Amino acid sequence: MIDIAPTIAASSSRSYNWFDLAKRHRVLLASIFVLIFPFVMPFTALAVNILIYGLYALGFNLLFGYLGLLSFGHAALFGTGAYLCGIAIVHFGLPWYAAIAIGVLSALVMATLIGSLAIRTRGIYFAMVTMALAQCVYYIFYQAVDWTGGENGLRGINVRAINLFGLHFDFINPLVRYYVVASFVILAFFVLSRILASPFGAVIEAVRENEARARASGYNVVATRLMTFILSGGFCGLAGSLAALHLSIVPIEILHYETSGMVVMMALLGGMGTFFGPFVGAAVFLLLENLVSLWTVHWQLVVGGVFVVCVLFFPEGIWGTILKRIKP
Amino acid sequence: MTEDSKFTSKRMSRRRVLATAGVGALVAASPFRINLAMAQEPTIKIGFPVPLTGPYGTEAQDQVRAAEVAIAEFNEGGGLNGRKAELLVRDDKLNPGEAATRTLELVEKEKVNFIVGSLSAAVQLAVNNVTKQRGIIFNSISQSDTINEVSDFSKFTFHEALNPHMTAGAVGRYAFPKFGKKVAFLTADYAYGHEMVRGFQEAGKAFGVETVTDVRHPIGTTDFSALLPRIQALKPDILCISNFGRDQQIALKQATDFGMKKSMKIVAPILLYTGRVAAGAQAFDGVVGGTSYYWGIEDKVASAKAFNDRFRKMHGGKVPSDYGALGYGGVKTLLMGARAAGSLDADKVIAAVEALKYDYYKGPQYYRKCDHQSVQSVFIIESKANPQKGDADVFNVISTDEPNEANLRTCEALGHKN
Repeated sequence: MIDIAPTIAASSSRSYNWFDLAKRHRVLLASIFVLIFPFVMPFTALAVNILIYGLYALGFNLLFGYLGLLSFGHAALFGTGAYLCGIAIVHFGLPWYAAIAIGVLSALVMATLIGSLAIRTRGIYFAMVTMALAQCVYYIFYQAVDWTGGENGLRGINVRAINLFGLHFDFINPLVRYYVVASFVILAFFVLSRILASPFGAVIEAVRENEARARASGYNVVATRLMTFILSGGFCGLAGSLAALHLSIVPIEILHYETSGMVVMMALLGGMGTFFGPFVGAAVFLLLENLVSLWTVHWQLVVGGVFVVCVLFFPEGIWGTILKRIKP
Repeated sequence: MTEDSKFTSKRMSRRRVLATAGVGALVAASPFRINLAMAQEPTIKIGFPVPLTGPYGTEAQDQVRAAEVAIAEFNEGGGLNGRKAELLVRDDKLNPGEAATRTLELVEKEKVNFIVGSLSAAVQLAVNNVTKQRGIIFNSISQSDTINEVSDFSKFTFHEALNPHMTAGAVGRYAFPKFGKKVAFLTADYAYGHEMVRGFQEAGKAFGVETVTDVRHPIGTTDFSALLPRIQALKPDILCISNFGRDQQIALKQATDFGMKKSMKIVAPILLYTGRVAAGAQAFDGVVGGTSYYWGIEDKVASAKAFNDRFRKMHGGKVPSDYGALGYGGVKTLLMGARAAGSLDADKVIAAVEALKYDYYKGPQYYRKCDHQSVQSVFIIESKANPQKGDADVFNVISTDEPNEANLRTCEALGHKN
């Protein structure tokens, strides 16, 4: 929502200030941040989780923040990516890169299926339909014990080494694992930024702002919605695949509606409709949860309190509020 | 501004302050700090991921208390050539993903020597998958049949807890000859319930037991009134209630209200100490079940007496619960293995733990070589109608299923090659 207006203002005055410069190079800035990120985190495995959930929230935000559709079933896309990536390795012995490709593809297919059914509705009905379909996906994976391990979860996604262009990396090493995941996340940053900056990205926001006007201007609203849903699914599927590789397991909880709810929380906490906000939301959410639970078993109380404060005083999310403050 | 002027008056610019603080933060965060702190001999670190929050929080917190007893005893006994042990407790939130993340933290950042813990089948399999890739010894203290199987087992995997096959088998062997051959099941519809039913049925084959029905219900069911009359109509001799925690309490309470105890015997694979204390005597009255540990065996078992006394002393007179005691056993066996090996080298510790014949808190135990399952006794208990010795006096031990490898699934059945 804040993407269009400042650009017009800047180009009319023909002078770039630092804020617009940062906006132009948001992918570069986000990438630099991601590269130094593990050194400021309490432990690397958490940093990797934040990357993964940040990417998941980023993908979700494409639909929620930019298109304005609240999905309560994104766990199905995240989980499908994770499970299919895991199954490709455990049951078919495919190399890790092929497994990631399968994870992303399967999430795209799943998003097409869910999307084509759900986009007929909007508002609260859209949230309910996506949630119901996601529950169906949950039960399919839960019952397919031979493929998914059912209740016990899928184990044995054991990637020991990454071989690239003759180079050999030990995937057990936490920093190696971080930077492998980070390279995919940076790639996703770039693709997402490209989508948002394209004419199609403008149409997405046009549909959010005024659907009737977008339709009157000759844009195919239904196709835009479906396409955005599918693209969002692709990002979430990539995040899921990376989650499977990182933890070497896929728990059935990944498909649970709590995982769907969590990403809504992250996007709201960070700032919906901002490029980097969902990532900030994921980082704050997971950091709080991990740090507070170290010193008290009543961590939910503390985390809940922080959320209430955020909702009361930062209605545009943490990142959204920061952006608003520093905007010259 | 006042802050700034104060600094400049001391000839220290803000930039200088920032730079100093930055360097300080970098040093504090960097790996060098650890080297500085490691001047003295490092402790033996044991990671302990358990679900401190969530439905099994009570059990998990008791497991921590019991593990602390094991650590204290080891340290008082001189440690490993003077090296003390330390427990690093983490909340796994009963979520396999969180447990795997926490295990990664414990292994990669804290550089723990061993991991002990978990309180769900899925969580222990997740932790196990992480530790076995990294060559860290893991001792699981919750029930699962799958962890013994060749698909999940590794030489780094130990299983101090009972498994459903042993538990249900012991209860079945006790109940079937006494109470009859027509058996109905009321089962929580997930791995735990399914594995328990399988254990009952395996044990029942020897007695010619007939399953009249197996009614499945989802976890978290609060109303069994639609299911219980169906079971009642089939007139079974025995009703096996294979669920856990609050589900078990509600099912037992409603079965009592329906008067089912008059026409059939109710058995449960596991009767939880904490569940019985919470639900009261009436619902559990006359129910027979199994357990890995009950503090009341201290009259007969000397090691149980010693453990209970130490636990009471450290924790304000409380007695350890069944799952709690496993925390003690799980930590103690690895530490004693390390002491026997005189080293923390994984292979040497594994060999030493495999060779242990131990009696730490519940009578003789040992780890079977092929799957590292602890071969141990199962206690058959019955809920007391009238506790005599205070609130903790809730069960009678009516039989003991002695440790016997014949009660486990065979190594071949689990896929191991001997």
